[in-house]
Amino acid sequence: MNIAIEELSVAYAGRAVVSGVHLIAADGEIAGLVGPNGSGKSSVLRTVYRHLRPAAGRVLVDGRDVWELTPVQAARCVAALPQERTSDFELTVGDIVMMGRTPYKRPFAGEDATDRAVVAGALERVGMGAARGRSFSTLSGGERQRVLLARALAQDPDVLVLDEPTNHLDVLHQVELLALLREQRRTTLVSLHDLNAAASVCDRLHVLHRGRVVASGTPREVLTPELLAEVFGVRAAVLEHPLTGDPLIAFDHRSPAAVASPVTTAVAP
Amino acid sequence: MPIVEADAQTTPARTGPDHTPGRAPGVRHVRAGVLAAVLGVALLAALTFAVAWGSTDVPPREVWSVVLRRLSGEAPRPGTSDLIVWQLRLPRALLAAVVGAGLGLVGTAVQALVRNPLADPYLLGISSGASLGAVGALVLGLGTGGALGLGTSGAAFVGALATFALVWLIARRGGGFSPLRLVLAGVGLGQFLTGFTSYLVLQAGDEQQTQGVLFWLMGSLGGAGWETLAVPAAAVPVALLLLMARARALNTMMMGDETAAGLGVSPARLRRELFVVTSVLTGVLVAVSGAIAFVGLMVPHACRLLVGADHRRLLPVSALFGAVLLVVVDIVCRTALDTQELPVGVVTSLIGAPALLYLLDRRLGRNA
Repeated sequence: MNIAIEELSVAYAGRAVVSGVHLIAADGEIAGLVGPNGSGKSSVLRTVYRHLRPAAGRVLVDGRDVWELTPVQAARCVAALPQERTSDFELTVGDIVMMGRTPYKRPFAGEDATDRAVVAGALERVGMGAARGRSFSTLSGGERQRVLLARALAQDPDVLVLDEPTNHLDVLHQVELLALLREQRRTTLVSLHDLNAAASVCDRLHVLHRGRVVASGTPREVLTPELLAEVFGVRAAVLEHPLTGDPLIAFDHRSPAAVASPVTTAVAP
Repeated sequence: MPIVEADAQTTPARTGPDHTPGRAPGVRHVRAGVLAAVLGVALLAALTFAVAWGSTDVPPREVWSVVLRRLSGEAPRPGTSDLIVWQLRLPRALLAAVVGAGLGLVGTAVQALVRNPLADPYLLGISSGASLGAVGALVLGLGTGGALGLGTSGAAFVGALATFALVWLIARRGGGFSPLRLVLAGVGLGQFLTGFTSYLVLQAGDEQQTQGVLFWLMGSLGGAGWETLAVPAAAVPVALLLLMARARALNTMMMGDETAAGLGVSPARLRRELFVVTSVLTGVLVAVSGAIAFVGLMVPHACRLLVGADHRRLLPVSALFGAVLLVVVDIVCRTALDTQELPVGVVTSLIGAPALLYLLDRRLGRNA
């Protein structure tokens, strides 16, 4: 299944936050959205899992506009891992992963053997098979993310959409979560803050800046010192990772880029 | 005991229990079916004693013989037993059960609606509106004296719906329908209406009127009769059905609107539906029993500790638990003092607060 976002615009209270975004994720590809804070990454993702209705444009999954499907039909092909990661209610791991079956259940229908097998399988796949009865609030950040990924997998989706899945995770848990993501071999749209993580896990990157896509391509094509200076406003060298061969960005943490800082480009039209 | 994580480089697979730290055991819940059966038996027992005990005790066996005789359509045996059991105490006991069940449901729904396990029906201002309606009717003489006549109930229901409409309009302004806007609109309007009610209470002419008003504000089942029972007895099962049909959708809302949307639920639409169901049901309940505090907050919370947060189990268990609780409370209210009846709300607060603290303490102790 592929995703095609065409001429997408999003507005909050009349103010455009995303305009004219066009991007494609091919079948089985991991497409990364990167960009500074407020560049519109989350807004784009929200239109895909139907939380935010586009002001204009279309979101196509295998040629079908998700906004012309019913919410339930859409939830059967797109599963989301939004940034909501806590609950004031005492939920168990099993409660949360079973939520993934919601799009498949009629009102009043109980859980059948299929649901239980799917939930158990999803928990197994993220290595949380033994945690079913545990309280979600007692889990570590990394464990929570794996449980939420299991919920998305229990939805049996064609497409996974993840909003900053590695936020607040330590390095090992980031590595584990991204490795899990690659193992799934599903069409995936993921926003990431960590450019080095994005460079090694994504097949293609789309750079968002002020609500527009300013670059698309493989990580090697996209992540250049010039782009990092212009979009992120930082000085950086792009090296080759000695272990993996992926692009490795070495930031200059002492001073921002001299040219095209975000403040000066903000004045430009 | 230190937990050794699997070597991430050689075995990125996260299989086997060694990857799951073994500190906290699973949350232990009671099986919902077992609990429901226990509560069902408890409800029958509580109803029996509610009818048996009072200023004149009727033996439980006699209670059932009167009830079965009536139910089988035979002519009632003449005597005081039939009068006490069938005309006076049974409608009241049943009303306590229905109102308790309704409050349990409303509390569960409102907590999901505003996504806060410590919310209660009063948060949306609807009971305040109902109280103002009822008290206004009493003071202006539309109700008949201190008795909770049809005039008062009607005014309470109108007050509830009017408040509901106002809260709705305020919360909708700006297009959003967020939990925070709902709570702010509800609390704000509720306080405003409560101020009016207090003013009316001060203005109440004679002592009997004031007495009636206070009884209303603290909740009472004293107005029960077969005719008061009909509307709530129909409304509570309908509300249970409507909410059960949305139980899975309610579950998805516990983590947030984006999660719900990603799972094929429209949170705005669900919230509108919940708001209508809870408002109408609250209006019906307050109209027949006044503002009974704490049940709507306490019951779902306690039930969540017992059976977990899944609404497919939580809703029916909360209804049953609320029913048992209010029947028992009303027994206490009628029999604790020789000289007068206690308002239901006084006893629900006295029982509810310590019970909640105990349950919270137990829960925290287990998870520590």
